Amino acid sequence: MKKSSMLKVEGVSVSYGPVRALENISIEVDRREIVALIGANGAGKTTLLKAILGVQKVQSGKVLFLGDDITNSSTDKVANMGLGLIPEGHLVFSTMTVLENLQLGAYHNPQDFNDNLENVFESFPVLRKRIHQTAGTLSGGEQQMLSIARTLMSKPELVMVDELSLGLAPKVVSEIFDILGDLNNKGYTILLAEQNAKKTLEFANRAYVMETGRVVLQGLTQELMSHPEVRRAYLGSNV
Amino acid sequence: MEIFAAQLLNGLSLGSMYVLLVLGFNLMLLVAKIIQFAYPHLVVLSMYVCWGVLRHTDNMLLVVLASVASCIVVNVAIEPIFRLLAKRHGLDINVSFVVSMSMALLITDVMSHLLNYGYPIAFPTEWVGKSIFSSGLIAFSAGQAYALFGGIAAVAAFFYLLYRTRQGRVLRAISENSLLSSIIGIPIIKTRVLSYAIAGLLGGLTAVMFARLLGSASPGLGDFVGMKVVAASILAGLGNLKGGLVCGLLLGIAESMAIGYLAGSWSNAIAFMMMLVIMLIKPEGLFGIEA
Amino acid sequence: MSPVLYYFLSFTGINILMCWSLYLPYRVGQLHYLTVACMLASAYFSGFAAREWSWPFALIVVVGILIGILICLIPSFAIGDAPCFTVVIIGLTIIFILKTAVENSPALGGTIGFFGIPQVNHLLPLTYLLVVYAGAVIYRIDHSRLGRAASVVFVDKNTAAALGIDVKRLGMFFQVAAGALAGLAGTLYAFLIGGLFPEFFNLGVIGTLMCMLFAGGHTTMWGVIVSVPILEGMQLLLPSAIASWRQVIYALTLIVIVLVLPGGLVTKRMLLRLKGKVSGGISKCNN
Repeated sequence: MKKSSMLKVEGVSVSYGPVRALENISIEVDRREIVALIGANGAGKTTLLKAILGVQKVQSGKVLFLGDDITNSSTDKVANMGLGLIPEGHLVFSTMTVLENLQLGAYHNPQDFNDNLENVFESFPVLRKRIHQTAGTLSGGEQQMLSIARTLMSKPELVMVDELSLGLAPKVVSEIFDILGDLNNKGYTILLAEQNAKKTLEFANRAYVMETGRVVLQGLTQELMSHPEVRRAYLGSNV
Repeated sequence: MEIFAAQLLNGLSLGSMYVLLVLGFNLMLLVAKIIQFAYPHLVVLSMYVCWGVLRHTDNMLLVVLASVASCIVVNVAIEPIFRLLAKRHGLDINVSFVVSMSMALLITDVMSHLLNYGYPIAFPTEWVGKSIFSSGLIAFSAGQAYALFGGIAAVAAFFYLLYRTRQGRVLRAISENSLLSSIIGIPIIKTRVLSYAIAGLLGGLTAVMFARLLGSASPGLGDFVGMKVVAASILAGLGNLKGGLVCGLLLGIAESMAIGYLAGSWSNAIAFMMMLVIMLIKPEGLFGIEA
Repeated sequence: MSPVLYYFLSFTGINILMCWSLYLPYRVGQLHYLTVACMLASAYFSGFAAREWSWPFALIVVVGILIGILICLIPSFAIGDAPCFTVVIIGLTIIFILKTAVENSPALGGTIGFFGIPQVNHLLPLTYLLVVYAGAVIYRIDHSRLGRAASVVFVDKNTAAALGIDVKRLGMFFQVAAGALAGLAGTLYAFLIGGLFPEFFNLGVIGTLMCMLFAGGHTTMWGVIVSVPILEGMQLLLPSAIASWRQVIYALTLIVIVLVLPGGLVTKRMLLRLKGKVSGGISKCNN
């Protein structure tokens, strides 16, 4: 596997008014990797993803994507360059149909719409059945699938997933993790922000552990899983 | 019965004008998250443009082009003000109302100072057109026909654009969730400007049809129409497009009926009274707020 | 006293009252233009009662205030907690209906206007006494439990409801208080100016009041005391060719102020700095 840096975050700091949300964060994601950000609620995972995408303003530091400096670029431009975010809370355009949601996902990539649609339906067969249904009437798991599918329609270089498992049944979560694994095998690079540390560490290649806006630990997931601090704080001490 | 039929016809042509204005108003409310109170005033301004062009030529196409162009240009030109406002205050529709109300006052005052010395303008009689159909009390003028059928065509085109095209999908996406829209790569500012342009296009067309329907205009017309349009949108539920369709038509019919059956100077007050009662009973509107 | 100075002082007093009557409901986030309808109704009532029935001034003031209260009280049962914009349009609608009623009543002078309202001695000093008194009452309201609750409602209705604030009753209270102020302003207007025109009560007067309120600063009651004399004086000092554009000037001023100085000339923060202390939760809510 050829290793090349796809996303590079260098010393990024973010503040909400007087409150520091991210303090000098540096992470790196290589092509075809699955990288996880784990940490408790409020550790700054979502803020980091938003900062990468330009939704949240960065005070200092740099974000490089495919070698280009995208620090504080406009979100639509960054998304157009191939950065796809699957936001927290399985967000869909609930008044629109499944097909319309997917068409919106392909906003920057309308050329091979039908081929992409076929690929997406292959990964998420349930969406094919619901194609003309209003997205608001889907179940939570189906909405999360639609949210992923919508992102895939733009053929992103890097897929960022925020809190995949939040509010979903464990069975559905496993199913979606399997699909993400398949996507990785097909060549997608994935950056995953999750509270569910056990599941995530089993799934990812590398991980960063975040606490109150800083990266406190990083490394390969096998190593992290045996790290005493991680075992105590995230996996339960007697795992 | 004949009065009723005649006024129903009047009401439908007048109502279709209100519908167009309510649609343009709601589009900007949904996509740009502003209350553009001055929108009907801009339409009246475009009626003045029609009038000015008509003094030099009677080429219908030129008049329509001038009206549409002026309405689009002015409406798009004020967009940066609202963008700056959003930067200062966040997307606060109440502050946007304060600003747009000032714009409305400004437009009205400029019209009453500079255009035709503040006197009402009258469009040429052949512009309003002869009666194309009449039977007893029922008379259907060419102007009414333009307003009614032009209105229906414009409303149909608007809904086609919104629900059947790629741009329409994007507009709806932003109106539902602008943050999610930007995350999936939709250019928010560009699309917002587009919504001003579409509203301007609708407004320019409405101005031509309104001119043919009414045959005259005055600086005060904007306030008058503005209040009715905004009240109709509230009756429908702010941002509710389909509700706006119903309420715009109902308002036109109610107003025409009041004119047909009541003493002239009271007819508008009656229309307002009816709206007031409904608004007091249902402050959230008949069809629910969607903004 | 020269007529110019008399008009300046009269309009300044009346406009300060009217700005306060818009300021109070804006504490809970509502633009309550209905107060202009209160002013209209109580002005016409006062004029009529004084000329036709020869009522004493004190009684007219009391009834004028009651009329203002009544006009705000009845709709407030429906719109005490309505969205700001609905309140706006209901206010405009009622103004329009009352105006139409006046224009169609020959007894009230119709579109021509209502004149011949008898003069009251020492009215100008009395007006300013009443303005000071009204200001004291508003100050008490602002610094009471109600004022603090209003600050929370302004920021977020849901938070306020969660804190146990009855948003609707609070809104009703502020609307009715605004009605009382506007009723007083209307009565004073009728006697100070001596003549009434229905055309006066239009969108223009609302624009003027909004300009004064937002230019002075809508977060405190003190802003209008600065902005009203300046803006009133400006139109008297300007040459008449420019003064006839005052509507445009007010509108532009309002737009520029909202864009450049979102809090107006006098802000809460500024007052706190003046006092030299930063106190309590209220300011946090407002700034």
